[in-house]
Formats: sequence, structure tokens, C-alpha cells
Amino acid sequence: METVSGRKTVLEIRGLTRRFGGLTAVDRFDVAVNEGEIVSLVGPNGAGKTTVFNLISGVLRPTAGSVRLLGRELVGQPAHRITHHGVARTFQNIRVFPQLTVRENILLGTHHWSRSGMLGSVTFWPRTLRAERAARAEVHTAIDLFRERLEARLDDPAFSLSYANRRRTEMARALAARPKLLLLDEPAAGMNPYERIEVAGLIRSMRDRGLTIFLIEHHMPLVMEISDRVVVMDHGVKIAEGLPKEVHSNPRVVEAYLGRRAASA
Amino acid sequence: MSAQAQAAEVEKPRLQRLWESGPAGWNAALTKPYVMIPFFAVAATAPFVTQFFVDNFGWTGGEFWVRILATCAMYATLALSLNLVVGYAGLLNLGFIAFFGIGSYAYALVASEQLHQHFPFWLALLTVAGVAIAFSLIIGVPSLRLRGDYLAIVTLGFGLVMRELTLDLDRPPTLMGHQLGPNGLNITGGTEGIHQVDAFRIPKSLPVLGTAPHSWVYYWIFLGFLALCVFLLTRWRGTRTGRAWIAIREDELAARAMGVNTFKYRLLAFTASAVIAAVVGMINAAWLFNAYPGNYDVQQTVLVFIMVILGGLGSIPGAIIGATLVTVLPFVLQPLIFYRYVVFSLILIVVMIFRPEGLLGTVSMRPRKTLGGTVELLTAESTIEASELPAVTDAEAADLEAASGAIVEDPEWKL
Repeated sequence: METVSGRKTVLEIRGLTRRFGGLTAVDRFDVAVNEGEIVSLVGPNGAGKTTVFNLISGVLRPTAGSVRLLGRELVGQPAHRITHHGVARTFQNIRVFPQLTVRENILLGTHHWSRSGMLGSVTFWPRTLRAERAARAEVHTAIDLFRERLEARLDDPAFSLSYANRRRTEMARALAARPKLLLLDEPAAGMNPYERIEVAGLIRSMRDRGLTIFLIEHHMPLVMEISDRVVVMDHGVKIAEGLPKEVHSNPRVVEAYLGRRAASA
Repeated sequence: MSAQAQAAEVEKPRLQRLWESGPAGWNAALTKPYVMIPFFAVAATAPFVTQFFVDNFGWTGGEFWVRILATCAMYATLALSLNLVVGYAGLLNLGFIAFFGIGSYAYALVASEQLHQHFPFWLALLTVAGVAIAFSLIIGVPSLRLRGDYLAIVTLGFGLVMRELTLDLDRPPTLMGHQLGPNGLNITGGTEGIHQVDAFRIPKSLPVLGTAPHSWVYYWIFLGFLALCVFLLTRWRGTRTGRAWIAIREDELAARAMGVNTFKYRLLAFTASAVIAAVVGMINAAWLFNAYPGNYDVQQTVLVFIMVILGGLGSIPGAIIGATLVTVLPFVLQPLIFYRYVVFSLILIVVMIFRPEGLLGTVSMRPRKTLGGTVELLTAESTIEASELPAVTDAEAADLEAASGAIVEDPEWKL
């Protein structure tokens, strides 16, 4: 699958629809994310952005439509298989495992590719020991971007972390899964301006390491700064897509955010 | 942390630092091999100590206390195995004790005159494990896909059904007027249970074990199996399997998003716990020479739950301490005769008020996070859907306003 620019399409969503009873949360949503791109999904609260993420990652099943990762259909597969195929995500309301240490949290990211079983671990089976060592080594690769923040905290339980460090742990956990596509759900929510600048830098360096990033973000300046393309949703429908500049001046987008009167004023 | 603070940290005495590290630190310290191995070594000498007092001071409680200690070791293993399923994987298994009974009866059936079978030890062990796995799959496969509280109901029902079955299967079962099996069929012995079960055949030539009194031998067998289970649980907890279990308990949705096959790992925890409980049941049947239905009714489940909760959910030393306290306290309080259960209950209540997590636990038992979050976490999907609804807090509204303001009025606004 080649696009005009000659880059591979990593994520291709077509006609994605999800209804909750009478409410259509996502309505015939289409999007394509190319390799090495940062694409932002924006829209007012309740527009259905997180639902799109939940549909991609298999938390929810779509009513209709298709989600393809590098040409492989993901709809209908269980969530853990989707992770195995190369989608990792973070959550809007951070979901680290509070009683596990930071290290164990990040090790959870290696779960789907690590080969270490119940019998192997109690018999000290060489293959299992190697797998455990490889997983522990991966923790150090995964925290590369957060080294000065997380390294000293690796053996502390995650509940003792600050808000920003929990976000970092969650990102490191997603990176340890070695994904092809990274879904970030509001990575800068609740962060102060300095931390937001850091997040912008992080997302760029993740992209520079070859990751494809699809993110939801509310903070417009951040979106404008880092995105290659922006997709705007309202009431479950895609209302605009394009370069940050184009989207930004689109009257439908302004209307979705501020209402009709502001748009005509 | 500044260099000064670090220096201060080093200057503190080790024990003080350990005390300040809290239950998580205590657990880690107590499960270290250099604590556990001496503990089991010392515990193994207990029968000799009692014998010493019997020989030199005319004490008469020697045999009695070895039996109590054997019971302690037995309940500690059961508590560990319940800890695996409830404390690690967060599954509320209320029919847990049924697996203990299944182990007892499976062994009794293949090692007594009931079915005229006398299997050798290893074959009997394999049979018991096989039967436990079969039952846990029959219960686990359909019910582990259910949400937390339904699982509790299914397993509670299972426990009660198994007990009724053992009481009723002393005669051929009748289904819709059809009698299944011949007239004289008696599988479980009904309320009588199965008697004259074979003890394990221990060669007389073994150095100490071969000549030691019956209850000493079984004390050591229980203790050895407890040590094995401690080893298994610490290894699992430290590797991929255990991390996946805790992750499922803490946040099922996030665990799935990290690629954990939650059904598979729940089933593994459920089955592993069932096999451990069944083997304990088998040792118990060999020790007491019988399998008796009164040994595993609902009260026993409650008792093991008390041990796990008192010791602390998810804590290995906690389970051992909890089991020891619950088993030994009634005997220590013997002089109070009528009041001992009152005192015992008071102790439990006081512990629960001041340490709702249990003595060494890290997971609190408060309703919102029932049993490590089982009930709450298993409904995580519905919380996600609810969070989709446009519930806007003040902060979010301000954020949104700022965001939309930025988009319209101040396009050049930078980070």
C-alpha cells in the first residue's frame, strides 16, 4: 500500500462506526496514517476520539468498518492479539499498575513478545532465563527518553510516582512493547507548560526512532507544533483533515469548537 | 535526591530503614532465600524440640503440638494457594475449599478399599493433579470469562454442589427416574466419608523419616510442600507470569492493552491454585487415613479467607503468619474456654480496623477496590464507555476554552 508521497500506510481506517444504543459515537470515520508520521486527532469533548482509539486497540468492537495495520485486518481480533500485531497505546486517565514497581510496569510492555512461562521460571530453564534477561534489558532501552526522570524510580511502586512520571512510565511501557503504531491518548493532559514542551520533544524523538504516532490532544498549540497532519472530529464524524495550518482556519472546525455565532462573527 | 539526603539515608540503621520501607519492603525482605531457608530449617526441628521438653520436663503436650504444627503447615499451604488466586490474580474463588476436598477424595478413592485400588504414590499424585485440573477447567473455562462478582457466585455454588455430591454419592445417582449404575454403588461413602485410606509408604530404611512417629512425618511432608509452594510462588511472582497476574488484578483493561491474554492467565492462576489445594487435600487424607465431608464445608473456606486477609492479600509471609495465627490462637486461648472465640474475633476485628490491608498486605480491602479491584476492574470496559460521555469538569472546560481560544485568536501562540 503506497501513498502519493511514497510512504507505507501503517494504519488505515475505513467506515469505522460504533453505536452505543441510540448514540452513534463514531460515524463512518476514515483515516490513514503513514509510516513515520505524527497525526493528531482533535475535537471537542465527547466527539468520539477516545472511542476511535478503543476501537483500534480492541477495547471496543466496532459496529461496522475496518481497521488495517500494515494491511492486516484488526477488527474482530481480541485486544491482546492487536497489541501483538504492533499497536501500543497509552490512556487518557493514566492506567499504570499502581502496586507494581516502575520496572515491572515497563516489563509488562515486553509481555507479548517475551517467551517466559510458568514451568520455565520454576525449573530455571535456560530459554526462560534468557527471555527474562532480554525483557529486563529492554526496560533500559525503553526508558532511554525518560532516563533522568525514571531511572532512579525504577524500583518504586507506581502509585508513589508523580502525575507526570506516571505518564512517562505509561509511555515507556508502550515503547517496551516495540510497537509499529503508537496511540497516545492526551499525552500532555494535566501537565504544566514546561512538561508540555518536554512531551512535544518526546513525541518527536519517538517519531525519529521510526515510530508512527497517532495521538489525541486537546492542547492546540502542542498539536499545531508537532503534527504532520491533523484530523478533526465532532459528534463522531470527521469534519476536517489536513495540514495543521489548513485545519486551523477551517470554518467548520472553528464552529465545532465555539459554536455557530463565533464562526460567523 | 541530594547528596546530603542520600548520606542521611545511609546513616540510618538497617532495621530502621527496613521498618520504614512499609509492608512492600517487609514482604520483599521476608521472602529472601536467606530468610526463608533458615525459617524452614528451624521449623523442621520443631518435633525434636517438643520431644526434648517431653523427655526432660515431663511435658505431655508433645504429640498434640506437633499435630497442631502440622495443621498450621497445611493451612499455610492452603492460604498460599488461595493467595495465588485471590491475592495475585484477583479472582474471588469462594469454592476454593472444594479443590481441597476433591484432592482428598481422589486420593482416597485410588488408595483404599472403597474402589479396591491401591495406587503407588506417584501415580496417585498424578491422578489427584489430573482430577484437580479437570475440575478447574470445567469450572474455569465457562466462568472465568464472567465479571468478578459472577465468578464468586459460580465458585460458591460449585463448592456447595461438590459438598452435596460427596454426601449423596453413597448410593447410585438417580436422574429423572433413571438410576445410573448398579444398586450397591457407593463412591464417596456419604456422611461417613472414606476410611482406612492408605498412608504414604515411606521406606523404613530412610534415616530419620523411616522411624519417626506418624504425625512427625506428616508435619515434615506438609512443611516440605509448603516450602515448595513458597518457592513456586516467589518464582512466578518475579517473572512474566506473576507480573501478568498482578497486572490483571490491578487494571484488567490496561493488561489487555499490553498484550496479556487475560482469560489464559486467569485460568492458569485458577488451575495452579486448584492443583496445590488438591495435593494438600491428598496429604491430609493420607495423614488422617480418611476423607471426611466435614473437613471441607463453607466454614473452611471462610477460615482460609480469614488467614489470607489477616496476613495480607498477595503476601507470601503474610499467608504463613495468618494461617499460623488462626490455627494456633484458639489453642493458646484454651484456658479462657468459653471466651476464646470472643477474644479471637476481637483480635481479628482490631487488626482489620487498624490494618485493613492485613498484617503484611499492600492491597487494601476497601469496598471500592474489593479484593484488589476485582469487581471494579472487571467492569473497566463500562467505565471507559462512561468516560466517553461529555462530562466536562471545570478544569477541562478551562482547558478547552484555552485550546479553542488559541485556535481562533492566537494562531502564532507557541508552546
